[in-house]
Order: sequence, then structure tokens, then C-alpha cells
Amino acid sequence: MKTLFLIALASAWNRRLTLALSALSIALAVVLLIAVTRVRDAAQTSFAQAVAGVDLVAGPQGSPVQLLLHAVFHLGEATDTMRWQSYQTLAADPLVAWSIPLTLGDSHRGFPVLGTTPAFFRHLRYGLQQPLSFSSGEPFNGLFEAVVGAEVAARLGYRTGDMITLRHGSAHLDGHHDDHDHGAEHADMPFRIVGILLPTGTPVDRTVHVSLASLEAIHLNWQGGMPLPGLAISPQLATKFNLTPKTLDAVLIGLHQRTDVFRVQRQIADFTGEALMAILPGLAMDELWQLVGSVERSLQGVAWLVAGAGLAGMAAVILAGLGERRRELAILRSVGAGPRHLVTLLMLEGLTLTAAGLLTGLALVEGASYLFGPWISARLGLDLSTSAFNAAEFRLVASVFATGLLASLLPAWRASRMSLADGLVPRL
Amino acid sequence: MRLVDTVIHIRDLRFTWPASHAPCLALPTLDVRRGERLFMHGESGAGKSTLLNLIGGVMLPDSGNIEILGQSLTALSASARDRFRGDHAGFIFQQFNLIPYLSVIGNVLLPCRFSVERTRRTGGSPLAEARRLLDILDLDPRLADRPAASLSVGQQQRVSAARALIGRPELILADEPTSALDPRRQAAFIELLMKEVAASGGTLLFVSHDQRLATLFDRSVELRTP
Repeated sequence: MKTLFLIALASAWNRRLTLALSALSIALAVVLLIAVTRVRDAAQTSFAQAVAGVDLVAGPQGSPVQLLLHAVFHLGEATDTMRWQSYQTLAADPLVAWSIPLTLGDSHRGFPVLGTTPAFFRHLRYGLQQPLSFSSGEPFNGLFEAVVGAEVAARLGYRTGDMITLRHGSAHLDGHHDDHDHGAEHADMPFRIVGILLPTGTPVDRTVHVSLASLEAIHLNWQGGMPLPGLAISPQLATKFNLTPKTLDAVLIGLHQRTDVFRVQRQIADFTGEALMAILPGLAMDELWQLVGSVERSLQGVAWLVAGAGLAGMAAVILAGLGERRRELAILRSVGAGPRHLVTLLMLEGLTLTAAGLLTGLALVEGASYLFGPWISARLGLDLSTSAFNAAEFRLVASVFATGLLASLLPAWRASRMSLADGLVPRL
Repeated sequence: MRLVDTVIHIRDLRFTWPASHAPCLALPTLDVRRGERLFMHGESGAGKSTLLNLIGGVMLPDSGNIEILGQSLTALSASARDRFRGDHAGFIFQQFNLIPYLSVIGNVLLPCRFSVERTRRTGGSPLAEARRLLDILDLDPRLADRPAASLSVGQQQRVSAARALIGRPELILADEPTSALDPRRQAAFIELLMKEVAASGGTLLFVSHDQRLATLFDRSVELRTP
């Protein structure tokens, strides 16, 4: 066995360029396979982590996934709103421990603006029940104060004390703005940044948080999405108005007892006055994930096809090599090697190649997530380190190895047949 | 005592390739005694290579009897035949005899890697024996660690002779080993080979289509196209 291994090694070294390319193609396939799996896991975790600790999301009746997308990920438009009075009734329920009202609709340089209350910073949890914390400053307290997420601050270079203005209309994913189509700047009422949050890997990082009253104030002189001409209201004047909002987009609810969740959900569904619903974020998240899941599954399918192509390529390289190695194999047979030795020799070659490809691929993945992990975490909010080499990846690697084993069987079988048919004496 | 003195014993040997109708080898009788240096000539297509495959136990005959050192090859399993070949036979081919990516010494040592018996017969040190053989076959010791592919054809043939001789196998089978050499070097190579086969107590079966070489041998037989 040791002899065969040394011969296989020397022979492989002799053909190192072709074999290295073949191992590289396996390595790239492994990178793709693992990257798809890791990004999927990280996305799933980041999805789930976004609403840790929220027992119910309440809002106007409609599609649960849409409510979730809007309330948690600040995506899409609100189809309907709920009344402020309804929120107050909900918040006063003795089963409800805390509640966070949410209003969306404005944006700041591509980032969504969330109108809420300071309770947001007290009660929202992310990841493993971690509270939000500030890298500098504190929660907003009065009018025209804003708290920005870590990514907003990093991307736009904001520090506490900086002044920003909000834009009417929601953020668009491409970050492209057109003044004619998407509303105008609330330039008359600038906001001061009073706090910057630490990164969470959740949509909070990409959000500008202001009080509900501030949102009311900047829309005092607006109607139907446009400022009323000739009616300018200064920030000082705005404080004189009643700034209690009339409507809300959604409410995040935490209960004293998690076991009451279905009871409260039913209460909200049976709410008299207007049609409301409450969703369990975990369930809605699963539903959402099933939508995203089909994309992930097709990506995984493509990754497996690439892996298959890599291994087939390896088998082809070894098979093509058999032609020129006929003499080599005949010489080995003449000194006493049997067909099983040749099978072992070629299997060793195939398996060493597969193993080399696998290890290179793993090293590339680990190296890339070490080098680019912080960047990906900051830019995309995906924490790739949470899914370091685990049982699922081990199964993946094992199945690639098993496929490599199958792929090397073909050249091995050919070699054992060929050396018999060709005999000891190499023909020209 | 036939078992001891007869190295090759063949009766009514026939072999047909699976794809063809006509037999490609028909050999009624062949006996080779221990220490004999036999020249076998035949046209191409007479089955010389097939005969070497049969004697080496790589293939089995359709019919007939073939015994090497008293052992009937048809009675052995495939892996036992492989081991038997490794233990008792050394091969020298026409050309491209060496594994190009192994060193010269690595090529000479190959049979010892597969055969315990031949390692034993080197007297415990295959490496020393390989160097001794290379020296006797007139190869510069400095070539020993060079890759085999860097040698001239004549040097390569002497290296393959050393590989065939290491561990003193009873039977040396040479298949046109001199056809790639020029005539002057052919005779020198054959003489060197015969001397070393004699020194190791082996038997030489030399196959060639070049009948002029026959005079150098004890005996000559012709292999006829069936």
C-alpha cells in the first residue's frame, strides 16, 4: 500500500499541472456548495434574529408575510393603517407587557425612516435576546431628534450632533431617487442625530429612528404627499400643535406570559371597531422563508451540478491519462502487480485529487470568510461566522468525497481491464 | 527431477484473442532447462508477445498445459499468478521499459517492492544490490538518482536489465530488447545480459525477429504462425 501510494504520488507529480487544474475545479465547486449553504444559514439566522423577543406583530388585516416584511424589514408599502385608539386599547391590555408602535413612509438617502417611541430601544431584542445598545449618544427624547443604525452611520459617515433631513416617500432598494416621482425633502424641519446604535446584523442597522410626534410634525403642512403651497410651519411653531398620530402601520407586542400568545392573537382578531390581525413572527418568518427557500434550493442544485462537472472532469482527466500511462501500468504488472494493485493505484489518485480539491475548497471558504466576513457582516448584515464548519457541511464534504470515489471507479475499472487486454507487452 | 531442471514446460498450447476467430498462438511443445539461453524467433504475428503473456501468467491459454518451475499456471488464482510472476520472472521489453518519473534506482528496485521473495534474495539490502547491478551493467553511479526519462536508450535498456535481474529470478524474459540499439551495441548488450543471467543462475528466454542474433545463444527455436 505504501509502495503504491508513493508510486501514485510520483506519477501524479509527473502530471501535476493537469491534475492541479482538475483539483482546482473540484475546489471551486466545493467553495460554491459551502458558500451557498453558509449564506443560506446566515440569512436564515439573521431573519430569525431580527425579531427575537417579539411575541406578536399587530397591524391592519391583510397578508401576514406583507405585514412582517413591512414591520420588521421595512420593505414594501403599507396597504392599510390602524387607528391610534386601537393601539392604545391593545397597549392597555393586562396581558401585554410592552408594545412598540411603528410608522413608516419616509426615508433618508435610501434608508427607511421608522417612527416609533423610546420603548423601541428598551424592549426590542435581537439575536440571542440581546438588547439594542448605543455606540454613542442615547435614545431620542424630543422632537426632531434621530437615532441611526450602525450601517447608516458607517455608510454616510454620521456622528452624533450631525443634522439630517428626511425625504417624503419610502426608500427604494436601488437607492435611486427622483425628486419628481418620489416626493420631496422635508428641508424645513431638519433632525439632529442624538444616538448611533451598535451593529446588530438586523434591519435596525439600516434604519433611521425618530419619534412618532416628529413624523406628525414634519407632515403638518402636507397633504396628499405634497407640501401645501404657501403654508410654511417652522419647527418652533410645530410644537404648538397636537402631535399625537392618528394612524399607525404596525405594533410590536411583548407579553408577560408567552403562553398567552394565542389568546391575545384571538383578541386582536376579534377586535371591535376595525379589522386587525396579529401574527406570530416565527410562523410568518417560516412562511417567508419558504418563498425564499425555492431560490436557495435552485442555487444548491446549481452548486451540485458544478460539483458533478468538477468530478466528471477529474474522471475524464484520469481516463485520458490512462492512454499515455499504458506502458507504466504494463511495467507495474510485469514486476508482479495485479489488477487490484492498478485499481488501488488509480483510486488513490482519484481520491487524493478529490481530497486535495476538498481541502483547498474548505481553505478558500475559511480564508474568504475570515478576510471578508467583517465586510459582509457590515454590508449585508449576514454573519457568516455563526455557521462555521458544522455537521451539515461535514455531510456535504462527505458526499462530495463519496461522489469522487464513484468517479474514480471508472478509470480504475478501465485500467484493470486494459492492462489485461493489452497484455504485458506495450504496443506501439 | 523434471520439476527441478525444467524451467518452462509447455504442451499443446493454444490461445485465441476474444475478438478473433483464428488462434494467434499454437505451440505443440517447448521445454527449457535450467540455465539454458534460448533464442526464439518468429515473424510478427507469430504470437511472441502472446507467449510471453502466457508464460508471465497475465493471460491463460484456451487449452494446453503450461508449467513454470513445475508449477502449472492454470492451477493458480489470478492474484497467485501475479505473485508468482513477481517472484520468479524478470521482464525486459523492447523500448520505454522504465517508469519515466521514477529515478533510475527506483526503477531497478520496483520488483522488490512487489515481491518479498526477491527482496529476500538480494541478501537483505535491495539498494546495495541495485547499485551493484548498475555498476556491473556499466552505468555511471551518478545516474542512479536521475529520473529514468533523462537516460539514453542504451542506458535505459541496461537499467531494465538490472531491474529484471534484481533478486535473482529463475526466468528472464526478454522481448526484442535490442531492437532499439545499433548493431554494435546489440551484441555487447546481449553478452552482458547473458553473463549476468549466468551469474545469477537464471534461465534466459530471448525473443526476437532478428535471426542473426541466434548464433549468440545455446539453442534457437522458431515460433510459427498458426
